[in-house]
Amino acid sequence: MTAVSSTLLTPRLTTVVAHNWKLAIAVAVVVSAISMAGLPAAVSFWVVGATAALVAAAFTVNAYRRHYFGALLVAPAIAVLFVMNIFPLLWSLGLSFFAYQANQQTIRFVGLGNYTRILTNDLAAHATWGALINTAMFVVFTVSAQMIVGFLLAILFAKQFPLRKYLLILVLTPMMLSVVASGVFFTYYYDPTFGILSYVINSISGNQFILMSNKVGAVAGIVFADAWMWSPFVMLLVLAGLVSVPKYLYEAAAIDRISSWRQFWMITFPYIRGLLMLALLFRTIEAFKLADLVILLTKGGNDTLTISYHLIRIANEQNKTSEGAAISYLMLFMVIVLTNLYLYLANRRTQGA
Amino acid sequence: MTAMTKVKGLATAASFAATLLVGGVTYASAEEVTLTMAVPDWPPTRIMKKFFDEQYKPKSGNTVKLDVDFIPWPDFYTRVNASLTSGEKKYNFIVSDSQWLGAFVEGGYFRKINDLIDADPELKATMESMHPAVLNAYSTYPNSTPNYYGFPQFPDVLVTYGRKDVLCNADEQAAFKAKYNEKLPCTGEEIDAMDWNTFEHVGEFFQRKKGDKLAGQVLDDDFYGIAYQAGKGYDFSTSSVHSFVWQHGGGIWDETKAPTGHAEGVVNSPKSIEGMEHFLKLLKFMPPVVKTGTMDIFVSDQLFREGKVAMNIDWIGLAEASLDPKTSKVADKLVFGLAPGLRGPDGKVNRTSQIGGQPFVLTTWTTPEQIKEAVGFVKWWLSPDIQNQFAAGGGQSAIKSVYSDPKYVTYRPWDRAWANSLDWQKDMWHVPQFFELLTQQQDQYDLAITGKQDAKTTLDNIAKFQEDLLKNAGLIQ
Repeated sequence: MTAVSSTLLTPRLTTVVAHNWKLAIAVAVVVSAISMAGLPAAVSFWVVGATAALVAAAFTVNAYRRHYFGALLVAPAIAVLFVMNIFPLLWSLGLSFFAYQANQQTIRFVGLGNYTRILTNDLAAHATWGALINTAMFVVFTVSAQMIVGFLLAILFAKQFPLRKYLLILVLTPMMLSVVASGVFFTYYYDPTFGILSYVINSISGNQFILMSNKVGAVAGIVFADAWMWSPFVMLLVLAGLVSVPKYLYEAAAIDRISSWRQFWMITFPYIRGLLMLALLFRTIEAFKLADLVILLTKGGNDTLTISYHLIRIANEQNKTSEGAAISYLMLFMVIVLTNLYLYLANRRTQGA
Repeated sequence: MTAMTKVKGLATAASFAATLLVGGVTYASAEEVTLTMAVPDWPPTRIMKKFFDEQYKPKSGNTVKLDVDFIPWPDFYTRVNASLTSGEKKYNFIVSDSQWLGAFVEGGYFRKINDLIDADPELKATMESMHPAVLNAYSTYPNSTPNYYGFPQFPDVLVTYGRKDVLCNADEQAAFKAKYNEKLPCTGEEIDAMDWNTFEHVGEFFQRKKGDKLAGQVLDDDFYGIAYQAGKGYDFSTSSVHSFVWQHGGGIWDETKAPTGHAEGVVNSPKSIEGMEHFLKLLKFMPPVVKTGTMDIFVSDQLFREGKVAMNIDWIGLAEASLDPKTSKVADKLVFGLAPGLRGPDGKVNRTSQIGGQPFVLTTWTTPEQIKEAVGFVKWWLSPDIQNQFAAGGGQSAIKSVYSDPKYVTYRPWDRAWANSLDWQKDMWHVPQFFELLTQQQDQYDLAITGKQDAKTTLDNIAKFQEDLLKNAGLIQ
């Protein structure tokens, strides 16, 4: 491929040929600048779009004539990724340095103003930090609940017993339900007048029981609902690891009369460690973004406001778009740090073992 | 210049095609006009769509299609807000909550309608026949100035829902009289005369445990006297607290006094605190869900329909479901009256209350052709005949000649409370910052309602926040 490509000479900047991408870029920059300065925004938007297409076309022709077929095949995927993912990401990063509200037509550069505001302003920062602390609390509680329950369920379902297949389907159902449906189900479940939970506890204790009336109860309620929904996911991953352990290892261990505790640590655990890490990673990232259940069950009451719900309120309800962008970058930063920390720990463990 | 020529040729072709397309649309719209509308999904808008489909014949001779998006209430603001701010320009007509006016007028989405009213004497007469409280709340921005943006779609007020079988029971009547030395309100007129003290007594009196007797029957579940919205979502405690604050002589930040009016010292004035405390005092007689901060208008309505409370204060817009035996266990036991008020030393009752209901608004990208049809539709909707039918089908009318007609009160059991409530109605802020004001206030009210802080701290926090926010927005000097 490289041998063929070298036969095509790089054209001079001023040579007008279809594969002269440098000229295309130059034309695009000049035409875009002129149109942005001289034409109304609605028209110049399309002009800039057309020049971008021109540059893309020049690149395509260039790659084709040079026989860069690999690059040509990947290009559509890269283009989609750029349009749907990278461009919005960069755009919102840009927005976070401006004072911009989606429902107002003004925009003003404020530098790091949004970041300092959400982290230090005595009114805004209070909400941000409160939401972050609550989020951390939910991450710890929901993820550990899901890991433990999911793991135990997996151990149970790795064994053969009657009706196992049907029970497995039953256990997996919560994961397949829509979060909103489960959320509404749990509001009724916890309701002090109509709910079965209060009904049972009332008839035992004789006092009116209201689960969601304080922070402990509200958090417990949300954590339980989340664990109910997502423990099966952890179970599924761990189960995949468990069934992949070769039987002969256990047989050999049995001959050596190794205790079941040591069997677990020496044989089972190394097989499922990677999958456990994966489940932990997935669930942590998801838990960090917890908002739906909070909205449905407490509306953020009893100090259960999470950073995601806070973000929805700021960006979608109050239209403080750029402040919302700043909060999302704060979140993104934290998730990236957390993820890398996990991966680092996981890798170190693997190397140590 | 090969590439450039190609692009130029393409652009010419595209613009030619676009001309053809636009021309085609203009030609077609001379005969068929589609009005796309965003409305909350509930009886008042369902009835409107039904009437339109069955009865509406546009005077222009065009075929008018009403393309209605029914959106559930809890998502309504978010969906409309997303549609408007994303710039998709989907809706011509929006049933907007009155508080949204400022936010969307300033954003350039809602069209001012003064020119339409002035150009059409018939429409002007209709608007002038509207009750002023309704017109100010639904149409004006800034609040109560002659700058109009909306036509009333469904006006709404808070009324008391009551259960006759419990309230009128002879044993309960006698026991109530013996305990409080006053009559337990039973008829609509007696509920009309009820003040907050009596309402509180009703709450205290009807707190019954499972196994206790209620109106001669043994209860199989706990029963409560009163319910009134105190939820954290949207405006589900603001609507109730505002009424108490106003009745006690306190206030909310008054945008008509901007920029000299303040939030500090008004929002947290001793009178306002007194009003808030009065509201909080009633909560202990309400169903236990109130302690979770989620008792919104839908929850209290459901508790009432399930027969768990003797009285509920709620919007008329939700009342239709309580009449239907399929959705209500108390359908045949209903009595309605005015929402209670505060009895002053002179014996007169102050019933100042937060107004509900919604206007229609037109969006700025609606074409002249569509506007013509939209105005035709609004005139038809606000015509006495349709307004009477609307009221008879469960809606309300704010047009004087319609609601003062003696037959108006015969349509629905709550209609008797309608005309007398109107004079007492006031609205909250219409400023663009309303949603920030509202969410912060709802958060703070929630802390008070769930017993985390007292009324003074709550209102101090709100006042401080509002003063800061509105100063930055230039609305307070």
